[in-house]
Amino acid sequence: MKYSLLKILLVFFTGEFLFMISCTQEACFDETNAYLKASFYLYSTQKPLAPDSLTLYGTGRDTSKIYNKTPSTKQALIPLNSSAGSCCFIVRINGVSDTLSIWYTSYPHLLSQECGYTYFHTLDSVAVTKNIVDTLTVQLYAVTTLNGENIRIYY
Amino acid sequence: MAQNEPPDSVDILLKLKVGIEVAGPAIYFTDKNNLSIEGYFSADLNERRALYFSGGYSDFKYSQYNYSYISKGFYVKAGVDFNLLKPATGMGKYWAGIGLHYGLSSFISETPFLKYENYWGTTSSSIARKTDWGHYLEASPGFRAEIFRNFNIGWSISLRKLIYTGTGKDLKPIFIPGYGSANKSFSTGISYYLMWSIPYKKIRVTVKEEPPSETGEQEEP
Repeated sequence: MKYSLLKILLVFFTGEFLFMISCTQEACFDETNAYLKASFYLYSTQKPLAPDSLTLYGTGRDTSKIYNKTPSTKQALIPLNSSAGSCCFIVRINGVSDTLSIWYTSYPHLLSQECGYTYFHTLDSVAVTKNIVDTLTVQLYAVTTLNGENIRIYY
Repeated sequence: MAQNEPPDSVDILLKLKVGIEVAGPAIYFTDKNNLSIEGYFSADLNERRALYFSGGYSDFKYSQYNYSYISKGFYVKAGVDFNLLKPATGMGKYWAGIGLHYGLSSFISETPFLKYENYWGTTSSSIARKTDWGHYLEASPGFRAEIFRNFNIGWSISLRKLIYTGTGKDLKPIFIPGYGSANKSFSTGISYYLMWSIPYKKIRVTVKEEPPSETGEQEEP
């Protein structure tokens, strides 16, 4: 069987086509922030219950609120400061304020070529004042972009 | 043209092949952030199988609004190429088959700049240069043809499976020389080869007769 030059070139340029379609750059569709996920529970029943109103902001940043009288928040997504080893937040549940303090370590994590890096955190400890909050428990020490429940706030 | 009787056997020249991959340098002319140079060597064991060895160097740079990244290093691949053409079809000049290779890369990676923004503001940092190893498997189906005496061209698709990087799950490499984009544990690519071949041995291969066709199709001269 004799192969013609045409067949050879066809084979060659088929490969070139495959090469061209293999070079498509993708966009970033991943979650790029690792939030501490805090769920709210009613202390008397020990069952999940979203507050009627939730206000949350970092101490000293009351002009930049993360939640502002937001109703029916079952799980709050709390951003941690990757440049510091601790954060404090004012948590106002149904009009009563408490201070939430969080200690942690941060480390960079590559999400993907398209998204770049984010910071993950490992919780060291948490503390809260007890005006409306009764107790606080740590469920998951790793703060990542995955879904989960890091802390439970019982009020 | 007279119709030839199908031969009972064919003579195949076993060859040593030395080549270069040309897609990498061609890409570098359009994208100065991605240099890849690869050399190729193979030795025919028989009409079906050939030992494969390649090695290369890669220098990859990437930058976008929130980070920049550098990866460069050397890699080697070794394995076996299988020719799926019948000896009477390939005649030692044409190859259509698949290569199965093991790849090993030694590379340095560095993130000179990264920026992360959230509620608390912007964190700027960097990740120091470090040396890592990449291990991967590669299946390469493709085609090669001798277009002039002892001169071949060809291309192959590369389907690669990353086995191990040793970098941990948080700072995975973005690019591994020889493997390509390490975003996922599976990568694809395509290579174009120019090859020079040196015949070193002639073997005679028996051609098995196929059962006669009922339709009585005639082979083209």
